[in-house]
Amino acid sequence: MTKYEEVAVHGYDEFSKAVSERKGKEIFAYFSGDKDGQGKSWCPDCVKAEPVVRGELSHLPEGSVFIYCQVGDRPYWKDPNNEFKKTLKLTGVPTLLRYGTPQKLVEDECFKVDLVRMMFTED
Amino acid sequence: VILIPARKFDYDLVVIGGGSGGLACSKEGICHLYFAVLDYVEPSLKGTKWGLGGTCVNVGCIPKKLMHQAALLGTAVKDARKYGWQIPESLPTMADAVQNHVRSINWGHRVQLQDKKVKYLNMNGSLVDKHTIRAVNAKGKEMTLTTKNIVLATGGRPKYPTHVPGAMEFGITSDDVFFVFLHCVCEDVALECAGFLTGLGLDTTVMVRSIALRGFDQQMAGLVTDYMEAYGTKFSWRCAPKSVEKLPSGLLQVTWMDLKTKEEHKDSFNSVLWAVGRAPETKTLNLEKIIVAADEATSVPNIFAIGDISEGRPELTPTAIKAGKLLARRLVGHSDELMNYENVATTVFTPLEYSCVGLSEEEAEKRHGKDQIEVYHAFYKPLEFTVAERDATQCYIKVICLREGEQRVLGLHFTGPNAGEVTQGFSLGFQCGLTYGHLRNTVGIHPTCAEELTKLNITKRSGLDATVTGC
Repeated sequence: MTKYEEVAVHGYDEFSKAVSERKGKEIFAYFSGDKDGQGKSWCPDCVKAEPVVRGELSHLPEGSVFIYCQVGDRPYWKDPNNEFKKTLKLTGVPTLLRYGTPQKLVEDECFKVDLVRMMFTED
Repeated sequence: VILIPARKFDYDLVVIGGGSGGLACSKEGICHLYFAVLDYVEPSLKGTKWGLGGTCVNVGCIPKKLMHQAALLGTAVKDARKYGWQIPESLPTMADAVQNHVRSINWGHRVQLQDKKVKYLNMNGSLVDKHTIRAVNAKGKEMTLTTKNIVLATGGRPKYPTHVPGAMEFGITSDDVFFVFLHCVCEDVALECAGFLTGLGLDTTVMVRSIALRGFDQQMAGLVTDYMEAYGTKFSWRCAPKSVEKLPSGLLQVTWMDLKTKEEHKDSFNSVLWAVGRAPETKTLNLEKIIVAADEATSVPNIFAIGDISEGRPELTPTAIKAGKLLARRLVGHSDELMNYENVATTVFTPLEYSCVGLSEEEAEKRHGKDQIEVYHAFYKPLEFTVAERDATQCYIKVICLREGEQRVLGLHFTGPNAGEVTQGFSLGFQCGLTYGHLRNTVGIHPTCAEELTKLNITKRSGLDATVTGC
């Protein structure tokens, strides 16, 4: 039995819904460019970071939630007014964050095992 | 057979204190050396605590400047109406914006330390011997670290007037401020807090035992407090608190004495904030005063101290940062450079900001004699104040020079909007040996407040009216 819940969502509305349904829980979210039919993302950094992040999931705190969120296709992401940029203030993909706090790792920070582990294990 | 010598110590450098100085020092770590930083916040008497980054980030410069800006924006909204903007009346709701920014800085430091492979421990460090540190976390778990060198950078905390009954039970300090009616004694922290609290709509009184901004130029201090009084902060001059009690209503009753008349008075407030000076955090280190040499060394050769913890150093973030960096570079053998503490520019972020570099007029007179100095000065009016119909009576510039020869500048003082921004460039001139001639030969940028420094020509000695006219 895993000690955390993993949720996969696609797009801003699904992300917001997943968060609102889990009030009071500690939520970590990983934002990635959409994957194609072969499971490969248009975002090369996301392809590189994903195995690093997945490799550290075992360090997530007990009872926490891990939301894997595909943000959309490349043109959607490039639009500076997309909901992720406007409302969540994301600046790049991949982004790994602890929801409701300023703690986040952006782009190449997500390649670093010790930073990802630090985010999952420290207060 | 390859013999790898065992490390003599766990670390090459351990920094105790993760504030401005401590972090700057520890982040100079280079790859083959083991650096660690211990940071621990003893909660205030009210239970307030905070994250990595020290006083500046959490309960000092950063939140102070943001609150100051919030208050200035309130004034700007009033000015805006005079410029034709239709803005409805409203009161500010000081939301979590400031705290969110502070927390993002806490996180940013954490990421940087991790990235630079500096070991971070959220533990309270104390000295066992010159190479051994005892670290304890909030839950009481202990560990021991051995290290070649130690840097003490635990900073300072606000003092309480312990001789005033009720002061500690009922009062707060800058560690806790953000929700108060103010009543405190008068160092620069006091004025800055009183200033932004008044600007945010709170009824605020400042109680001053003797003078405001001790150590600063007193003419300038007077202009700062005159402006605050004109803008709604109340001052009780030459008064001292005697005791604080909690009333059944929940309000705090302060008994105070007017030192001029010797009469006692009582007043009630929602909150009382003490800003009576800061003391170095040395208790947990089992030390008292820490006196350092020019290279930040203490009496123990491998133990150094930087920042607010050391006696007689400016209590400023930039000096702690620079001293920390230079110290780290000397310790790893990359440099010989010592920190230069001379001519450090500072700004007091009161509603009318005051910035200065060099000597006060009092200090210049003391060192050189009144006859050997020339003081150029001007009362000016920021252009922006005109349409806004704002009173500029306290907007003033004073440059103190040696009277003879090239008239080297000894001290430069400015009250006005964006005082820090105005003065930073002139402080560079100071480092290069600024003279009155240089100022006069510099062409001003028009229209600005800063250009008035290049146009100074009236001396105090002449007795002429120093109000800028024209244009």
